[in-house]
Amino acid sequence: MSKYIDLSILEIHALYKEKKLTPTMLLDEVFERIEKEKDLNCFITICKEEAYSDAKRLEQEEVRGLLWGIPIAIKDNIVTKNIRTTCASKMLEHFLPIYDATVIEKIKKEGLLIVGKMNMDEFAMGSTSETSYFGPPKNPWNLSFITGGSSGGSAACVAARITPLALGSDTGGSIRQPASYTGIVGMKPTYGRVSRYGLIAFASSLDQIGPMTRTVYENALLLNVIAGHDEKDLTSSTEPVEDFTAFIGKDVQHLKIGIPSYLVSDVVSDEVRCVFENVVSLLKENGNTVELVDISYLEQAVSLYQVIAMGEASSNLARFDGIRYGYRTDNANSVDELYEKTRSEGFGEEVKRRIMVGSSLLSSSKAKIYYDKALSIRDDMRSSFLQAFEKYDLLIAPTTTTKAYSLGQGLDDPLKSFMDDVLVIPANMAGLPALNLPAGFHEQLPIGIQIIGAPFKEATMYQLASFLEEKLALDLEGGVHHDEI
Amino acid sequence: MTKYEATIGIEVHVEVKSKSKFFSQAENRYGKSANSSCTVVDLGYPGTLPTVNSEVIQQGIRAAHLLHCSITKKMHFDRKNYFYPDNPKNYQITQNRTPIGTNGYVEIELNSVKKPIYIEEIHLEEDTCKSAHKGRFSLLDFNRAGVPLIEIVSKPCMHTQEEAVLYLEKLRETLFYGDISDCKIEEGSMRCDANVSIAKEGSNHLGTKCEIKNIGSIRNVGIAIQKEIERQTALLEKGETFQEQTRRFDDKLGDTVLMRVKETGNDYRYFPEPDIPFVILTEEQIKKAIETLPMGSDERRKLYLERGIHPKNVEKLLSNRTLSDYLNTYQDSDLDFVIASNLLLGDISSYLNRNFMELNDTKLTKEKFSDLISKISKGELSNQNAKDILEDVLEKELSVDEIMKERNIQNITDSSFVEKLISKVIMENEESVSDYHQGKDRAIKYLMGQVMKEAKGSINPKVANEKLIEMLNRK
Repeated sequence: MSKYIDLSILEIHALYKEKKLTPTMLLDEVFERIEKEKDLNCFITICKEEAYSDAKRLEQEEVRGLLWGIPIAIKDNIVTKNIRTTCASKMLEHFLPIYDATVIEKIKKEGLLIVGKMNMDEFAMGSTSETSYFGPPKNPWNLSFITGGSSGGSAACVAARITPLALGSDTGGSIRQPASYTGIVGMKPTYGRVSRYGLIAFASSLDQIGPMTRTVYENALLLNVIAGHDEKDLTSSTEPVEDFTAFIGKDVQHLKIGIPSYLVSDVVSDEVRCVFENVVSLLKENGNTVELVDISYLEQAVSLYQVIAMGEASSNLARFDGIRYGYRTDNANSVDELYEKTRSEGFGEEVKRRIMVGSSLLSSSKAKIYYDKALSIRDDMRSSFLQAFEKYDLLIAPTTTTKAYSLGQGLDDPLKSFMDDVLVIPANMAGLPALNLPAGFHEQLPIGIQIIGAPFKEATMYQLASFLEEKLALDLEGGVHHDEI
Repeated sequence: MTKYEATIGIEVHVEVKSKSKFFSQAENRYGKSANSSCTVVDLGYPGTLPTVNSEVIQQGIRAAHLLHCSITKKMHFDRKNYFYPDNPKNYQITQNRTPIGTNGYVEIELNSVKKPIYIEEIHLEEDTCKSAHKGRFSLLDFNRAGVPLIEIVSKPCMHTQEEAVLYLEKLRETLFYGDISDCKIEEGSMRCDANVSIAKEGSNHLGTKCEIKNIGSIRNVGIAIQKEIERQTALLEKGETFQEQTRRFDDKLGDTVLMRVKETGNDYRYFPEPDIPFVILTEEQIKKAIETLPMGSDERRKLYLERGIHPKNVEKLLSNRTLSDYLNTYQDSDLDFVIASNLLLGDISSYLNRNFMELNDTKLTKEKFSDLISKISKGELSNQNAKDILEDVLEKELSVDEIMKERNIQNITDSSFVEKLISKVIMENEESVSDYHQGKDRAIKYLMGQVMKEAKGSINPKVANEKLIEMLNRK
């Protein structure tokens, strides 16, 4: 059987144009793979009927853009009209949204085919996707390992080549970290680049939706579709959307690249350091300058993140009270009891822990000590980054401190998962775009590096990423198990 | 006996007039069927985000200006977090740290003495939904959720219920005439909470505060405050202390009743709303908002007094916005405002009330009204005649002249008509005429009465009287 789904999007597009392939044929392959890869547990909801009916509709029209008829998987915290959206929580297990997120409207308009809603950490709170009410997704490279999180289902889906594209969301590394653990390209765009309207909020000032893909080019293609100002999201930027593929394939020389020193300090394991140093040498060999740079407050980033993210989350998740939608407890005799039971029964442990910590952090006397202070240090951190970008075109760093670890290992220690994210959190805190690129392996598990750009410099990041992608020429098909049966 | 002094502070919420709600596109209108005017944003649906209605910001600027506040040019919104079924997101978007207006005042007049009542701050926020309780069930109407509100917090600077009532009346009039709000307490578009504490006169610390919530009319605010002062005084007299508490005013009892004793410090966990960036007000924006304000109540008062309207009628006009607005369309003309206001407040109002109509529903055009008033003012039409033809003026699509012709009403300044009438009276009342010539004062009054009777009130008595004397003396 020919594997159309493993072809590049350009090749698929050409076949569509020549009428040698139809969206329905491509979907047949996708759903066959979904079936074969059930063990990955990366889907919460499979939208077979909807996808086929969308495909049939597409087949009535002319082939349009490059992503026309391309299957895509959507993280389950992005609302999809009439398709259950759970946030991987019992609270929203049966929640059927009545509207589409802005990004969903955009991809539908472009003719992409939504094939399912992806597993994740409950309400995106976690770094391994193990807090999911639906059980953890598995890493396609080794089923006893974590995918990372919170966009673990989206990452596993693309890594296993079930779909070429997926959408994730990144609040404190939730796109880049699982992308690193599963060997795919994951971009967290500049805060404000992509509309958050319809993304079920975790931490409003940090959340950003982004593309998770097999290749850098395809990542840029998807960002082209989802980026842009949205009147429904006041935090979305009016910055013009350029063609993010514009610089891809252009040679990279004479770039000035900085490495934030703290991000290569002893927090990083040897396995990761080795992969990262290889990239640094490659860049130098090709005529680029690579230097260490100091960015203020990076060592505080995790603590600051916890204050801001949990504070905002405690308020954002208040609306899940059993009154208008979602889970409602069966036996409550008063409103207070309704709240208490609904929320105790509907939320998982990690979510409850963060709501409690967040509520405490915002309570009257503490708000000024913690939240206000965190916001002000965040501004200073951002200024320090911006200052670095006056000197450097881009920054690079490892994405994760280690490669993926085995399932269950992080659950006992609530702080461990935060510490895992020490390298990815700064980009969220500063609102900067950051991308994970697979850069090497250790014991058959992928390891990624991170490219961090100045605000709205995604196109330049893609340029460097595609250059490295080509030079490194990794075999990333190792995450594909379906032919071994 | 110890003398006590009350300290009163008042919080007022008014619903802001605007086409759409504060943070969503839903229509902002009272009285629509339940849950017919709300969007996913108002429902606090997962994933939704607020947008900011610039019309509401404009209204906020205007309110701040009208209440003499300093306007905060760089402001943000905050989340006030608390769980309640009528609060869809379980947080309310409000302004905690950067209220749009601060340090304002309104001026009241008590026993002819003017006094400013100081305003601590005014801020913008969203309304909650409306809940109704039916047996075991609670019903929620989200039409009100997200309706823009302005909260006006006075300083605790009032001491009597009279001051409080005057403050509220002034506030209502100011915001109503500024088109900020309907200020209808009965529809909930104006809500008042009063804080009352009493302390020994001359003492420099305030007593324990009690809050009286959601009082249904301004009059009742006065009663509630008075009752509360009496209740607290009685307790202090007995040497009792009491806790800070929230009370409500019971209409039927005509007294306040305890709702709950305040728990220590409600913690609303305020923090800056991350979904809404800072709002920066430009000088231009502020200027435009203020310039487009309609004429305010005090300005109207000044205008009407200047145009000679009796103070009593001035107040009557101010309590009838439609008539006041109508009269103001003649601001730049030399229309006689005294006659015009008399007619508007008198016969026209009673006609409208009788027929359940508005001025707009009648056939009264701008030209017709000014023609009518000027004919009365020039003496071409007597008051009686004006009264007689008013219905026709309001109901028929004819000019005043055409109506007068139709009704066979003579131009009363037409001297030949008046002379004809007087000649007739003189001829028919020889006795009185001779009495007049013999210097009997009563005769002229009688004759004049006959003239007016003959004219059926259709002539100007002053003109007729002069003419009568002239003609009697001719003989």
